Amino acid sequence: MQQWQDEEGWHIDVRGLPPPQPLVHILRLVQQVGAAGVVIVHHDRDPQLLYPELAQIGWQAERIAAAPGELRLRLSPLP
Amino acid sequence: MTQAPAHKPRPSPRAALTIDTPHGPRPARTLAGAFIGGAKGRLLPASIPLRFFGAAVVYHLLAWLALAAGSAQWAGFGGGLGWPLAALHLVTLGVLGMAALGAGAQLLPVASRQGATGAGALATVWWLYTPSVACVALGMALARPPLLAAGAAAVALALLVWGLLTARNLLGARGMPGVVGHGWAALVALLLMLLAALGLVGIWLGLPAPPRHALLALHRLLAPYGFIGMLTLGLSYILLPMFMLADTAPERHQLTSLALASCALLLAALAAIGIAPRPLQLAAVLIGAGAVGLHLWLMARAARSGMRHLSGPSWLLLRLGWAGLLASLVLAFVWAMRWPLPRLGLWFSWSLIGVWQLSFLLGMLQRVAPFLAAMHGAPGRRARTPSALTHDGALRLHLACHCVGLALLALAIATESAWATLAAAAAGTLGALAFAGFYLALLARIRAPAEGSGDKARKQT
Repeated sequence: MQQWQDEEGWHIDVRGLPPPQPLVHILRLVQQVGAAGVVIVHHDRDPQLLYPELAQIGWQAERIAAAPGELRLRLSPLP
Repeated sequence: MTQAPAHKPRPSPRAALTIDTPHGPRPARTLAGAFIGGAKGRLLPASIPLRFFGAAVVYHLLAWLALAAGSAQWAGFGGGLGWPLAALHLVTLGVLGMAALGAGAQLLPVASRQGATGAGALATVWWLYTPSVACVALGMALARPPLLAAGAAAVALALLVWGLLTARNLLGARGMPGVVGHGWAALVALLLMLLAALGLVGIWLGLPAPPRHALLALHRLLAPYGFIGMLTLGLSYILLPMFMLADTAPERHQLTSLALASCALLLAALAAIGIAPRPLQLAAVLIGAGAVGLHLWLMARAARSGMRHLSGPSWLLLRLGWAGLLASLVLAFVWAMRWPLPRLGLWFSWSLIGVWQLSFLLGMLQRVAPFLAAMHGAPGRRARTPSALTHDGALRLHLACHCVGLALLALAIATESAWATLAAAAAGTLGALAFAGFYLALLARIRAPAEGSGDKARKQT
């Protein structure tokens, strides 16, 4: 698992992790980033467990372009 | 976690734009917590797990009613056909089995990182299993072996089909060897348990069969500790960290607990068929205690380290369930030591089935069902949150009634009182109605429009 920051926000690469570890690491980063941040998730599958948790904390997920074999999500607080 | 420098490949500019679908590209949705394109590919249709859970809710109510019908016999129950046996199997097959089939069908593919397949076969399993459980219970209650046998054969067939679907999934599993290993152990136990159960039915029909005491001992061992127990322990390694937002237990610890539990089951099974009964029973209990101790330590560690501290009725039921599991092992030790304890068999069944498995499963179900329902939030609408789908008042009432019901059952065992049994059944029935209210509210809220419905989205992390 890797984590870094650039001008788009915080990135987290959870590819290869078994469930529910992606969920835990992503939500941990979301908690650290706080309400003003954006988190870009690099995943190898659709994180089905994540969406109800995001809804629960008032965040949204948006799929963005990614290389083949990768699923990339942009997470941000609901407006 | 590593902090990588900024020279990592930069994400492409936001493309929020299109998603490839079988029907060509379409705009991505950007709804809170809503599923985005293809997200449901790894999920069964919601109707599959929810129909199993719904049947479990109905059988929960019927189990308490059957106990009321058999209240005069229950406190002195020592085996044999009748309402007490029917009530027991309405819990084991109707509630525990039904919920385990639904949860296992959906959650094992998540753990094994495979697409969920076999929805049609699972629906067939449900249609076969659900009336067959009623048939078994009725055959027991009315003491009609042919009816019991017909139901048992259909139940066995349904469980075998489910077992084959699960085995196919486990064969293709990637990762999570601890959870997958528990799945395999549960399947082996299921197969042996079914053989023992069918042997017992054969005896009721007057057919030649192995000795009844051996079959009964195997059945009593492999159904709760083997099939349901192994499935419960294995799925806990994914569900509890998920709900607590905690790190998963190290695989080596999961596998150690699995090895100990499997060894205990094997020794206890050998003892059940008459091989060195007393030393093997003692060894099984002690090794099983080691497996359970390790498992509970891992769960406690997850609870301490998780980002979310569980609370409310579900958490209380889970802890009550774990206490019941420990109590069942203490009672098994008493039994293995041949210490005299009046009505030991009833105390053992009470702690094992009532306190451990029923409490734990109902506690888990009240978290899993809203979570799965929320995962199936309809695209194009704001997603439901699990908390918005949960009727808290109904669950609090259920918890109170469940605890009172179990306490009154204990009183009934201690005093051999039919009135206490009847009072326990009344409390349990009220609790089961409350649980049914929770489930009906969940189904109603899934169907209701989410906008303006008072979603309780809140900051929890």
